[in-house]
Amino acid sequence: MSRSVWKGPFVDAYVLKKAEAARESGRNEVIKIWSRRSTILPQFVGLTFGVYNGRKHIPVNVSEDMIGQKFGEYSPTRTYYGHAADKKAKRK
Amino acid sequence: MSDLIAIGAIAGAYGVRGEVRLKSFTAEPSDIARYTPLVTEDGARSFDVTITRPIKNGFAARLSGIDTKEEADALRGTQLYTERSKLPSLPDDEFYHADLVGLEVVDTGGTVLGHVRAVHDHGAGDLLEVHGPALRESVLLPFTRAAVPTVDLGAGRIVADPPEGLFE
Repeated sequence: MSRSVWKGPFVDAYVLKKAEAARESGRNEVIKIWSRRSTILPQFVGLTFGVYNGRKHIPVNVSEDMIGQKFGEYSPTRTYYGHAADKKAKRK
Repeated sequence: MSDLIAIGAIAGAYGVRGEVRLKSFTAEPSDIARYTPLVTEDGARSFDVTITRPIKNGFAARLSGIDTKEEADALRGTQLYTERSKLPSLPDDEFYHADLVGLEVVDTGGTVLGHVRAVHDHGAGDLLEVHGPALRESVLLPFTRAAVPTVDLGAGRIVADPPEGLFE
């Protein structure tokens, strides 16, 4: 069952505070958070969060198409290396 | 940068007519046939690969010179490689993982931070896993123009301008 609309998206309060402080300071830093359950809000776009995966903080650059998802979706808790083969990486 | 890149492996025989089970490591699994001929790690054997059909966990394929189930079974576990030069060239700001892995990472002041161990993509952009002797554990560096202003494949070096607190 989906969340009631009248409640609005869930975000842990400390995440909001940290994001606001980072935006005001304008510094290029990773905002360390442990709240994987928090929803990604439009005001987080452009910030880099370090989302805890139980072992370390995974950097997550928030972009517009991530709005509405949860932080935890971008910070996997299991590591898989696989083979490089012909896989490509794009510098954004 | 190694000349040979692993792009698949033989998982055993498929059927009794000399076909093999082929596991593909490529980004688009069926692309493995584009890089034929594939060679073994020591370069002693070379195979032309023809994919016959997709099967669970890979493809059924016919390899040149392999005509019987026994020959196919003997190849179980063999990794197949292609030459780096066979990969198509990429536009600016796109790099093969195979080229990035192993590069030295230095900061803007020239201090060596470590080496690239792997490249990950968890859905929020590519990340370089940097491992170095001075690091307690590997660090994930966002592969963005801001955090990685220079990638010099010729010199085998990446210049990083990491966000504050990342390498602490």
